[in-house]
Amino acid sequence: MIRIQNLHMVYQTERGRVHAVRGIDLDIKQGQFFTLLGPSGCGKTSTLRSVAGLETPEEGEIFVGNDLVFSSTTRKVVPPYSRDIGMVFQSYAIWPHLNVFENVAFPLREMKRRFSQQEIREKVDRALSLVHLDGLADRPAPFLSGGQQQRLALARAIVKEPRVLLLDEPLSNLDAKLREETRFELRELVKRLGITTLYVTHDQLEALTMSDVVAVMEEGRIAQQGSPMEIYQSPQDRFVANFIGLTNFIDGRVKPSPCETASIRQVETAAGDLSCVLEEGMKPGDPVIVVVRPEDIRVITDAKPRHNLFQGKVNAVIFMGDSLECQVLVGSQRLRTKLHPSSAVQQGQNISLELPAERCRALRGS
Amino acid sequence: MTLSRLQLGQYAVFLFVSLLVSMPLFFLVLGSFSTAKLPTDFSLDTMSLQNYVKVYSDPGTFELFTNTLIYVTGSVAIGITISFVLAWLVERTNMQGKIWIYAGVPMTLAMPGMLQAMAWVLLLSPRIGFINKSLQSIFALDQAPINIYSLGGMVFIEGLRLVPTAFLMLVPLMRSMDPSLEEAAAVSGARPLSTARKITLRLLAPGLVAVMIYQAMTALEVFEIPGILGLPAGIYVFSTKIYAVVRSATFLPAYGLANALAMVYLVIALVTTYFYTRMISRVERFTIITGKGYRPRQFDLGRWRYPAFALVLLYLFLAVLLPFLVFAYVSFLSFLQAPSVAALQTLTLKNYRFLAQYGEVGSALRNTLLMVLVTATATVILSFFVSLVVVRSKFWGRKLLDQLAFVPHAIPGIVMGIAFFWVFLKVDFLPIYGTVWAMAIGFTAGFLSYGTRSMNAALLQVHKELEEAAYVSGARPWRTLWRVFLPLMMPTFVGVWIWVVLHAVRIAGLPLILYEGPQNQVLSILIWNMWDEGYVPAVAAIGTLLMLSLLLLTVAVRYIGFRRQLVQSPAV
Repeated sequence: MIRIQNLHMVYQTERGRVHAVRGIDLDIKQGQFFTLLGPSGCGKTSTLRSVAGLETPEEGEIFVGNDLVFSSTTRKVVPPYSRDIGMVFQSYAIWPHLNVFENVAFPLREMKRRFSQQEIREKVDRALSLVHLDGLADRPAPFLSGGQQQRLALARAIVKEPRVLLLDEPLSNLDAKLREETRFELRELVKRLGITTLYVTHDQLEALTMSDVVAVMEEGRIAQQGSPMEIYQSPQDRFVANFIGLTNFIDGRVKPSPCETASIRQVETAAGDLSCVLEEGMKPGDPVIVVVRPEDIRVITDAKPRHNLFQGKVNAVIFMGDSLECQVLVGSQRLRTKLHPSSAVQQGQNISLELPAERCRALRGS
Repeated sequence: MTLSRLQLGQYAVFLFVSLLVSMPLFFLVLGSFSTAKLPTDFSLDTMSLQNYVKVYSDPGTFELFTNTLIYVTGSVAIGITISFVLAWLVERTNMQGKIWIYAGVPMTLAMPGMLQAMAWVLLLSPRIGFINKSLQSIFALDQAPINIYSLGGMVFIEGLRLVPTAFLMLVPLMRSMDPSLEEAAAVSGARPLSTARKITLRLLAPGLVAVMIYQAMTALEVFEIPGILGLPAGIYVFSTKIYAVVRSATFLPAYGLANALAMVYLVIALVTTYFYTRMISRVERFTIITGKGYRPRQFDLGRWRYPAFALVLLYLFLAVLLPFLVFAYVSFLSFLQAPSVAALQTLTLKNYRFLAQYGEVGSALRNTLLMVLVTATATVILSFFVSLVVVRSKFWGRKLLDQLAFVPHAIPGIVMGIAFFWVFLKVDFLPIYGTVWAMAIGFTAGFLSYGTRSMNAALLQVHKELEEAAYVSGARPWRTLWRVFLPLMMPTFVGVWIWVVLHAVRIAGLPLILYEGPQNQVLSILIWNMWDEGYVPAVAAIGTLLMLSLLLLTVAVRYIGFRRQLVQSPAV
């Protein structure tokens, strides 16, 4: 539904040229909830705004549906008002001089097709009830709360049933509690309407909970693309692993082993040897970074023999409410583990940790 | 690469503003080297440095400098002192009746300078001045004790005139000062006077200097006060000298000479503007505005509360009430006489009847209306499009465009008049020389700096996403203009429009240079000419009506709440 090919974008700023987007390829399927995730300045918003037509890229091609809306080779630039899109802005961009009804009716009144007053009334009412703003139609827009403004912006974006919906960090101005509720509602609504959605956020939780597909961006490129589960469980590089969730990084080298094609092999680290999942094609002696999530590390109290068992000393215990973060020193390597809040661990205590081999992933190191 | 319609529009705005601003300056410079008698005879063969030699070798020029210097520094000293005291009283003390100052001082902005000067002539001229006459009879003096036709008179009246703008600039300065800075001095052991000297005044200093330079620019530029008070006595400052060289009957017109003088005048104005902008950026670095809503601690005036309030009332009396009363009184006289019981019994409406019958009044009113409406509307539209390009586009020349639009701020009205005078004479495919259209164009160029400053500030307030939301909702650029920008910017449009009307209607300098023939008079010219010819009671009648309508307009503006637009300061 949205296809982006080799997108490049350059800004002229006072400090010179900034290459914000460096060759992005995306293919978003009909009805998909697709999220661009990354830290600020990674080019995710620039990409979204290029799809909207609010920025003109340097190079590349963009299709919305089957229509070519931007092409650097044929110099075709379809202006935003001809692209048949809906968009929710970070600031919501609710027009303060119009009331709720007129804000939502605006896109309908700008369409080529003329609607009767009756039709406009019906469509606006339906959009407002979809976002639970029924009965507020006559209210001046500035008199809405933050959450209501966010939903109004959404109603305005979906009222003409556009082919694609673009969302630019729409939840970042809401308070934490409201954000959590809205995450679920928003996904449920666009799924019900079946609109292809491109979502931009820097919040990993939003990306993981709402999306069908997440693309993690770093410095103008896509670092990894996949389902939320894949992104979280199998990060392909240090950046993705670090950006999403808490992670332990252990430097090491691949050890020679009899079976070079086995998926679980030995890695030599400062804390001792470690069995872990290796990517194909890694040879003995290759530098690697072993990634293991804190919640995958287990505290062992019995004396059964196990793989990947390490002895360490508890360095710090931090109460987080729903969990206990426990920092353990294994030699000079610090490991963070996530324990149940009722776990009885004390600072200075000696402790045994198991790092399940299938949860330890070795990534190519530098 | 072909240009889109948007880019074409941006180029059009850029070219138009460049022409509007640079063409008059070009002709001003060119004309300063011309030795031909009339601009129409100008040719490149007759160019020489003769005018500059003449200007610099004339001992009168030295006197001109001295007069201008005394006039500007004197009036700024008076204006700043009064406005500083007023601003301090309302912002930092517990004086009574502050509302009178907040409401009354900006009202003085509505009073045209020309009329104020004329009112003071009626009070203090040696021959007819009411105050002089009564002082003479009380103390049995042979000569009038006070002569308003003097540098001192000009300094006094212009000083009064500078107060409202300076006051409106000083109030936010005093209000935005963090009281904890003074409290810190107090707990460090400083006594109130020492705190005021070492902390308060030091913190205010950069802002105060900026206001002073701004006021000096205003005083330097003003034509009407030195025109009414200095010209009859042959006391010239730059603005009146240039006018005299071109227009006065006692000289043969010497246009090249006027241009050379105007160039010197322009350089002084540009230097002042340069210092002003530098000062402003220093003020910003020194800024004590934190945006917190606090009220500085108020100084207890104690027993001095009532004398302080009396002082304020005295200022309001001198600046507004007295001139107005004098005008209203004279407008009902059949001939000029000092107020007395006998005079009050002969009051008549004949002057107002005369106005209704006198043909030139009608045509001047129509001309003024046309000129003011065209100027205000053109200024609003042009400023809006300039600001749109400057604030919202990625047009390569947007910074340059912004600076071009600010240039007229530094050009005194008389110089602008001389410059456009050449333009309309030389560019003769437009047959508008001498008409109100010429004045409207000259004024529009002059007010462009104020208009764009206001529009820039207002456009920055309109979040860019409000515009983008309209595009992605399917609205084309002109529809976005119509449905988003226009309604959101309406208060600014109205504010700028009224500000321009208030100013264009009362400025006499530029119209006096640009008009030709009685059929092209506007109100300010008519008043000037009738005063010159001695129709004093008739002038008083026009003046009374003009003051009343301007006052009403000002009250309306304040009532609607466009207070900020009335402050004549550029958006700093």
